[in-house]
Amino acid sequence: MTPQSLDVFCFFCPFVLVLFIIGLYCVIVTTNLIRALIGIEILIKAVTLLLIVAGYITGHVALAQSLVITLVVIEVVFMVVAVGVVLGAYQHYNSLDAGNLRKLKG
Amino acid sequence: MISLLIFMPFLALLILNIPFKDITKKDAFWAVLALSALQAGISLFPNASFWDSASDVIGNFFKLNLAIDSLSIVLLFCIGTVTFITALVAKHFITDQKRLFNFTSLLLVILAGMNGIVMTRDIFSLYVFIEIAAIASFILIAMNKDIDAIEGAFKYLILSAIATTMMLSSIALILLMVGDTDLSVISYAMKTSERAPIIMAAIGLFICGLFIKGGLVPFHGWLPDAYSSASAPASVLLAGIVTKTVGIYTLMRIMISAFGFDNTVKTILMLVGTVSIVFGALAAIGQADFKRMLAYSSISQVGYIVLGLGCGTGLAIAGAAFHLFNHAMFKSLLFVNSASVELETKTRDMNKMTGFGQKMPVAAFTSAVATLSASGIPPLAGFWSKLIIVMALWAAGHYAYAAIAVLASVITLAYFLSMQRRVFFGKLSGELKDIRETAGGLVLSASILAAITIGAGVFFPFMLNVFILPIANMIGR
Repeated sequence: MTPQSLDVFCFFCPFVLVLFIIGLYCVIVTTNLIRALIGIEILIKAVTLLLIVAGYITGHVALAQSLVITLVVIEVVFMVVAVGVVLGAYQHYNSLDAGNLRKLKG
Repeated sequence: MISLLIFMPFLALLILNIPFKDITKKDAFWAVLALSALQAGISLFPNASFWDSASDVIGNFFKLNLAIDSLSIVLLFCIGTVTFITALVAKHFITDQKRLFNFTSLLLVILAGMNGIVMTRDIFSLYVFIEIAAIASFILIAMNKDIDAIEGAFKYLILSAIATTMMLSSIALILLMVGDTDLSVISYAMKTSERAPIIMAAIGLFICGLFIKGGLVPFHGWLPDAYSSASAPASVLLAGIVTKTVGIYTLMRIMISAFGFDNTVKTILMLVGTVSIVFGALAAIGQADFKRMLAYSSISQVGYIVLGLGCGTGLAIAGAAFHLFNHAMFKSLLFVNSASVELETKTRDMNKMTGFGQKMPVAAFTSAVATLSASGIPPLAGFWSKLIIVMALWAAGHYAYAAIAVLASVITLAYFLSMQRRVFFGKLSGELKDIRETAGGLVLSASILAAITIGAGVFFPFMLNVFILPIANMIGR
């Protein structure tokens, strides 16, 4: 890594970190199932940004683009399945409270 | 033509799901059986020209970057066998034709995903195949739609998503430092350059993600819930092969082919492995639910594999791979037995069970084989793999770890014998007098797995020469 590209990396690093922290905080703190999924979305967005920055700095823009597009497709499939599971929980309890999902003990 | 192992399941899935054709619906089950049996059969011949990646026309056309080594072949055999068994069990458990069709379609997706994980040599494709297998297994767990299944699936889903974000950020950091996603390029860069803090962070994140995926202590929270709440065939598949391929095989592959072993990583792997062995075994003793006990025992056995991997010598990794094979066989066998007990009695509470051995002799005998193999009693297969791991640890000078591994074997024997005594030995109680041996498919699958467990132990010299020594030679030292 050249010093110039290190500057670019250091410029983007805070944004990635902030997105990461917001996402993790959201997943850990919330008691709403949909909000937990939104937190995971934010986490994945942080990773997407990191991938794009990595591709930009190393000059592999095409590689990074193809990786990000694949990532977006997988993320959509993941979210469809996740929302399906949340809907299943909603049909049982008529609420989105994560406190209902505490029957099994680790 | 190794890319066929990925393309055939997807092709079968496409053909079976062409709309307006009800005739094909019944054939999904046979398609899974045929594909998985073919895969298991062909991986018994590691020298066949099928494995030659130069002749792989489709793979080279799409630039898939697939390759095979002796470790992959062992895994491909396990994947084929366990998928075959799962299809047989599912046929018995799921009476509704439409649901059986959905289940077997998902089996095809998981089969293709796991084959991809085993064969790919690109770190991003590895992530893609891991997600394919993981997403299909969320659906498999939640398929029953009862509230336990949904809770188990949701926990797995959230932790799995956090694990994949860790792995992806590690991939991004590697892309930043190395500039490529090919495993051989990464391996070359790791060997030549000094280890910058960013690289160490990338390695740490990736390994941490795989610990979550493999259900190792302290990230094991989702595993007993997911295993015990899934339907019986789904838990055979998950416990037998999915988490092992997704978590543990990937860990082995990434350590051997990309990151290499340095002392910090070795210590972390051995510590996590030992803690998992002891914690899993101790937690398994206290369980009353049949499947939860098996799940905790799974954590403990996976600990042995990671302990062997953390030792880092060729012999230890070969032992870990052999234990991975053995674990796939005896743990699926135990889950098949729990499935047949659950089918007959409609309960998983071991305190309500007694004396089933009188009416279910095959289940009692095969589960005795599996428990003895898991606790390392000679001449069954589990004894040899544990022996190799302990010997390699001793040779590398890790005496304390070797001693803990041997002592934990005794705890394993304790909880398994307690299970065996409670469920299969003793006198039949009044209300469960009319249970009987379950029909063909379950007995057949239990017998196949028991035969493999006994065979791999008795014909150990053959196993050693054909499967284990090639792995040890591949790693060297």
